[in-house]
Amino acid sequence: MSDSRFFATLRSVALRNVVILIAVWEFVGRMDWVAGGALPGLSEILIRFWVDRGDYPGHIWATVYASGLGFLIGNALAIAAGIAFVLSPLLMRLMRGVNIAVFALPPIAIAPILVLTLSGMAPRVTLAALGVYFVTMSATVVGLSQYDTRTADLVRAYGGGNWMVMRLVRLRGAVPDILSGLRIAAPNAVLGAILAEFGGGGRWGLGTYLLGSLGRGEPARLWGIGLMATLIAGLSYAVFAIISARTLGSTRSVTLNTAIPDTIDPSRSRPVRLLIFAGTLAAPFLLWWTFIRITGVPDLISKTPLGVFDYLFLSDTSHIARGKLLAALGQTLPIAGVGMIAGLSFAFLLAVSSRLFPGFIRAFMPVALVTQTMPLVALTPLLVLILGRGYSVTLWITISVTFFPAFVLLVQGINRVPQTVLDLPRAYGASAWKEMRMVSIPAAMPYLFAATRLTVPRALLGVMIAEWLATGTGLGNLLNQSRGYLDYGMIWTVASVSVVLSVTFYYIVLAIERRTLSHYGMQQVE
Amino acid sequence: MQQPAAISLRSVCKTYRGRGKVVEALADMNLKCAPGSFTALIGPSGCGKSTVMRVSLGLEDHDSGDIQIAGQSSSAATAGGVTGVAFQDAALLPWRSVSQNISLPLEALGRDPKQHSVEIGHLIELVGLDGYENALPGELSGGMRQRVSIARSLITTPEVLFMDEPFGALDQIRRRQMNVDLQRIWLDTNSTALLVTHGIDEAVFLADSVVIMQSNPGRVVEIVTVPFARPRHPDLFSDPEFHALTDKIAKILHVG
Repeated sequence: MSDSRFFATLRSVALRNVVILIAVWEFVGRMDWVAGGALPGLSEILIRFWVDRGDYPGHIWATVYASGLGFLIGNALAIAAGIAFVLSPLLMRLMRGVNIAVFALPPIAIAPILVLTLSGMAPRVTLAALGVYFVTMSATVVGLSQYDTRTADLVRAYGGGNWMVMRLVRLRGAVPDILSGLRIAAPNAVLGAILAEFGGGGRWGLGTYLLGSLGRGEPARLWGIGLMATLIAGLSYAVFAIISARTLGSTRSVTLNTAIPDTIDPSRSRPVRLLIFAGTLAAPFLLWWTFIRITGVPDLISKTPLGVFDYLFLSDTSHIARGKLLAALGQTLPIAGVGMIAGLSFAFLLAVSSRLFPGFIRAFMPVALVTQTMPLVALTPLLVLILGRGYSVTLWITISVTFFPAFVLLVQGINRVPQTVLDLPRAYGASAWKEMRMVSIPAAMPYLFAATRLTVPRALLGVMIAEWLATGTGLGNLLNQSRGYLDYGMIWTVASVSVVLSVTFYYIVLAIERRTLSHYGMQQVE
Repeated sequence: MQQPAAISLRSVCKTYRGRGKVVEALADMNLKCAPGSFTALIGPSGCGKSTVMRVSLGLEDHDSGDIQIAGQSSSAATAGGVTGVAFQDAALLPWRSVSQNISLPLEALGRDPKQHSVEIGHLIELVGLDGYENALPGELSGGMRQRVSIARSLITTPEVLFMDEPFGALDQIRRRQMNVDLQRIWLDTNSTALLVTHGIDEAVFLADSVVIMQSNPGRVVEIVTVPFARPRHPDLFSDPEFHALTDKIAKILHVG
């Protein structure tokens, strides 16, 4: 893979840049140049950390406990679900709605719901588990699907059935993919736990600590907590990176298998397909309803899908609720859209021009890669400190949560283009601009769509967190206010509306993506 | 012949339905291989020669007709360990050592590989991989991997051995060497062999009879008997009679 070579050369440059960054940071911090001391120097943060050292163990333990337990539960579910989905494509089809909903739901929106219906550490563990489920589940499905069909035929030729193929060929073959899934999932678990801490009470946890320190005007402490959260997330990522490097080695596949195992049976009749579609649509709501029945929380507090519909359309106060909701959406959606478009365009422009400024990309890529392991949205309070409580903080958070993952995805995509293809236009004397137009931009298109799908929920999450913690506007604020007013109907409404919105946007992007890519004869990337 | 044929296909039909396209992979296919014989199936791409092997092993269902392997149904034969199989490319599991790859069929059959360690050692010796028992496929050359897959196909001491272009991925020089090795190994085993191949040289050198197929629909057009005595020496490759026979087959293939 040209990928690994590319990233290997980045390592030494990265180290140098980190040193430079720390030096600049220390200088700027000491001089109080950023927003009157909102960005302290590294030494000031470390000193403050030493002063606060008694506070940390309890908070760290709470966060690590919740995210660790959530990580275990979420991944056990995800791997089991992945295996079940691969063995039964029908089940995968039926659960598709649930899977997309889990992927797209902004954790902050359902944090209050979990706090209402569960107790103690359970909301945090659940949110951490939800954060890892989708990543590990799809990694498992991908890993189990990309097996060597010839070795599977071999097992079948000796009378082995589906389960034997799963045991001897597919499970072991999926290990590298599952491990890389776990690696990405690990920081997600930490993020989930912290978001749940933001959303619902408790005394311990880094999220609680961060929120509690927000009003005190102690930038050094906030930064210390933020860095600690980043460190934990980064370490959890590193652990799985090391494990996968150890286990892989020379056991990678030696020949390329070109056959694609078939997944969906197109021979089903129309009514059956409609039935499956209806089932897919109904499954998330069914799950919601079951969740409420199982938790046994009274109807006043927990709302079923029907309860939300009643609250929003049938009850006496429904017009007030609708008015509030629409006003909040009017504030949230435009800024989420603008931030996302800005973040994506910036990432796209920077990535496709990477051949124009290779030096800059080499210097910048490590920073972008590090952000992949950071609980970025959990650092919102730090941005509030620097940017204040205006709209700009919302915008910057949205841009940063969309820009970094999109940039990494796009650069990796462009790096998959063979060098010879990149060289061809130049060999015929094409200008850099022409080369970009002919090769880099088309090559990056599928990845731009994949990045858009990936970042839609993150953008919504970023905006809602900023609104909740800082600006006091939009959906995030509505959620926070409703908690204060004990307006349970509104809490459930905001949560379900934000999930539905996120899923809808996901499908809109997917539809545009399919049309565009099939028009240009390109492959969709996951 | 009194004994039942080791491989018997009678009026086997198989069609593939793609997107608005129907491909007749096999139309009224008949094939009989006597016990202990070596048969080569040759023909252009898409003539259904691999399909013959896949339906014989029960990897795919056939639409109509009757298939018997050593007097049993395909599923009974494969589940009973009567058959051995080697595919194009070695198709080894990259995380298993040479001996673990060789024992894979035993595990698929639900047998205990530990009780067959002597046979595994013997096969490794037979294919000339002594000392590589614990090597991983990634550490072997293409020819060595192919020999592992031949050893694997023999681990159940099969009565009937199916090979689908087992040397397709090798270069010409390596391929000749493997042909000579395969003859030696096969003569040791008394099994019935069916070799699916693109190579006329390979087919004539190895087989007692060469079954020539054509496509659209996939069918047998002629069966050519190979008269050369065994064991055949590599010099046969440059024998004028050998060339006369390969030319004859080439002509049939091109005329159809």
